[in-house]
Amino acid sequence: MHYRRRAGLWAWCYLMLLPVLAIYAYVRIVPIARSFELSFYDWRLIARVRPFVGLANYVRMAGDENFRIALWNTTVYSLATVLISTAIALPLAVALARRGKTSAVYQTIYFLPVITPMVPMAIAWKWIYDYNYGLLNYVLSLIGLPPVAWLTDVHIALWALIIMGVWKGLGYSLVIFLVGIRNIPATYLEAASLDGASELQKFWRVTLPLLRPILLYVLVTSTINAYNVFTQVYVMTLGSQAAPGQAVRVLVYDIYQNAFQYFRMGYASAEAITLTFIVLGFTLIQFRALRSQEAA
Amino acid sequence: MTRGSSSRGNGLRRREALALAGAAAGVAALPANADTKLTIWTGYPEIQPLYQAVAADYAKSHPGVTFDFFSTSLREAEQKLTAAVPTGTGPDIFDIGTNISVNFIDNGLIEPNPPDIDAHLKSGPYGKFTVDFFTLDGKTFGLPFLEGSRACMFWNKTYFQQAGIAAPPTTFPELIDDAKKLVQIDAQGRMTRSGISLRLSGQGSGIGEKFRYVLEAAGGSMIVRTPSGKWHNGFDNQAGRDALTFYVDAVQTWHIDDPKVPHDADAFASGATAILWRESWVIGEIQSKNPKLDYGVVPIPAWRAGMPRMMLLQPEGVYVNGQSSNKAAAWDFVKYLTNAPNGLRLTEMTGWLAPRQDIDWKPLLAKTPQFEAFVAPPADIKYYVEPVLTAFDEVESKMADRLTSAYVDPTLKGNPQNVAAKIHEMAEQTDQILKDAKLYGTG
Repeated sequence: MHYRRRAGLWAWCYLMLLPVLAIYAYVRIVPIARSFELSFYDWRLIARVRPFVGLANYVRMAGDENFRIALWNTTVYSLATVLISTAIALPLAVALARRGKTSAVYQTIYFLPVITPMVPMAIAWKWIYDYNYGLLNYVLSLIGLPPVAWLTDVHIALWALIIMGVWKGLGYSLVIFLVGIRNIPATYLEAASLDGASELQKFWRVTLPLLRPILLYVLVTSTINAYNVFTQVYVMTLGSQAAPGQAVRVLVYDIYQNAFQYFRMGYASAEAITLTFIVLGFTLIQFRALRSQEAA
Repeated sequence: MTRGSSSRGNGLRRREALALAGAAAGVAALPANADTKLTIWTGYPEIQPLYQAVAADYAKSHPGVTFDFFSTSLREAEQKLTAAVPTGTGPDIFDIGTNISVNFIDNGLIEPNPPDIDAHLKSGPYGKFTVDFFTLDGKTFGLPFLEGSRACMFWNKTYFQQAGIAAPPTTFPELIDDAKKLVQIDAQGRMTRSGISLRLSGQGSGIGEKFRYVLEAAGGSMIVRTPSGKWHNGFDNQAGRDALTFYVDAVQTWHIDDPKVPHDADAFASGATAILWRESWVIGEIQSKNPKLDYGVVPIPAWRAGMPRMMLLQPEGVYVNGQSSNKAAAWDFVKYLTNAPNGLRLTEMTGWLAPRQDIDWKPLLAKTPQFEAFVAPPADIKYYVEPVLTAFDEVESKMADRLTSAYVDPTLKGNPQNVAAKIHEMAEQTDQILKDAKLYGTG
C-alpha cells in the first residue's frame, strides 16, 4: 500500500515535470543532437544535395587557419578574463563582505554592467576606445601618456575586448563570492583570530578553502560564458573604424560566419560541437583540480 | 549554373516602348485581386522610404493592394532571406545581390521571369551587360534595381586648392603625390587629416572589394573565369603584388592614411580626409551631413598613363519569391518600382544609382553635378563585374581578414619577397574556397 502510494507520487511528479522536460528537450537537447548530426554532412542552407561526409568537416577544421586563430584568441580571451576577473573579484568580495550601506552601493555599482545589455555597452565601449575622441585616451593624455589604438592595433584589439570582458563579468563573480563569504560561519574566523592569525592568513587558511565550491562554480560558469563571447566582437568589428576581424576572431564568431554568411551549416555545426567539447573539457579539468585539492 | 548571354540587343521596339511609356506615365492594367497584401523585404534601410513612396503611388491606382515592409542591414537581410525563402516564409518581393539570388535560382526558389517581364527586361531600358547579368542559362531572373558597387573618387576641392593642386589625379602616381601633399600631421606627429581614406580595418567583404579597386586598376582580378566555366585566383601575379604594395606603402611608407584616423563617408563629409573611393550613396550622405562641402567626383585613376581607368559594375536585383501566392501582383509592382521615373527617384532620394539606361538624368545633374561621373562616366572607362558566385563573398571576406593584418605588417614594408609570399598565401586560400565549392579550374 505504502509502496503503491509512493510510486503514484513519483509518477505524479514526473507527469508534472513532463511539459518542462519536453520544452527543454525541444529547445536544448534536440538542437544539440541535430547539430551533432549535421556536423557529419555537407549541409548548406540553400542546396538541393546535402551529402553525408563523415568526419570530413572535423578533418577540414584541423587545417582551417581561421578556426585555429579563433580557438587561440578565444582561449586567450577566456583565460585572461576569467583569471583577471576572479583575481579582482575575490579580494574585492572579502573587502565588501562587511555589511553596511557602502557595501550595498558598491555591490550595485559592480553589478550594473552584468545586467546592462551587451549591444549598447559594446557600442559605448567602441567610443571609449576610439583613438581620436575616446575617453580612455583622454584619461591617458591627462597623465601624459600617448594615445593607444585600442581597437585598430592588431596586437592590442584582443586585449581591449578582454578589458571589456573583465568589466562586464566582474560584478557576477563578486556577488557570488560575497554570498559564499557571508555563508562562512563567523566562528571559524573568530577561532582563527584567537589563534593569532593575520587577515591574510585567515583568507588563505579559512576563507579560501571554504569558498572552494563557490570558486569552482564561478570558474566553470565564467569559462563557459567567456568561450561563448560573440556580441562585443561582432559590434566592435563593424564599420571602417573597427577592430581588424582576424585579430579578434573568436570561435562563436567563426561559427556564425560559416553558418550565416557562408551558409555552411554542416561545417559550423562541427565547430559548435568542438566548442562544446572544449568547454566540457575545461569544466572537467576545473572540477578535477578543485575536487582533488579538496580531497587532499 | 553559368551565366548565359541571351540579350536581344539594346534597341527599343515599338510595342515595348509604348508599354514602357505607359508604365512611366502611370500603371498598367490591374492584375491583382482586391485585398492583395504584398510583403517586401530590403537589405537597404535607406531605400525603404522609396519603397513606401512608390507603393503609396501604386496603391492609388490599385486600391486593393496593400504593402508590408521590412528592412534591415544587407548582411542580415541575406541571412533572413536565406532562412525564410527555402522554408516558404519569405516575402513576396525582395531585393538582393546575385551572390544570394544565384543560389535561390539554382534551387528553384526564384522562378524564371514571366514572358512579359522577360520581354520588358530585354526591350531596351537596360544595357546588354545588365541584361546578361540577370540571365542564367538563357533565362532571365528578376529585374535590375540598383547599381550596388559602382565606385568613383570623391575629392575635396578646397583641400586640393589649398595644396596648390589644380585637378584631381588621373593616374596612381599622381594620386600618391597628391595624397602626400594633402595629408596633415600635427606637431606631435599625429595624422589629423588623411590624404586618402582607404579601407584598412574592420571585417567583411567590403575590405576585399576596396582592395579590388587597386587590384583591377593594376591589371589583376580577384578571380578569373576559365573557358570551361571554372574559376581560379587572378592576383597571384605582379598586379596582386603591386596592389598590396600600394596599400602597405600608403600606410607605412608614404603615411597618407592610418588605421587610427577617421575613415569612410563620415570622414570625407566631415573633412577628415581629402580623397575617398566610394559609391554614389555618399553624395546623399554629404547632402545630409555637410551640404556646404565643396567636392568633386571623378573615376578612380588609371594605374599609370596609358592604362585604362576601371569601374566595378554590380547591379542588384529585385525578385519575386517563387513561392509567393501573389506573383502576378508582385511582378506588376516590381515593374512599376523599376520604371524610369522611379529609377530617377531612387537616385534622388537615396543616392543609389538606378541601372536603367533610359533615365533622363538632366534634372538630377542640374541639382547635383557630382553624379555625372556615376551616371555618365567617360567613354574610356573599362568595366569589370562582380562574379555571380556564392563563394565570392567568402573569397573577399577571408581575403579581407588577411589584408587588414598585411597593411600594417612591418615585415612587408620595402620587402617584395614577403609581399609576394603574402599574396601567394591569399591566392592559395582563394583557390581552396573555389575547390571546396567545386568551382575551381584552370583550363
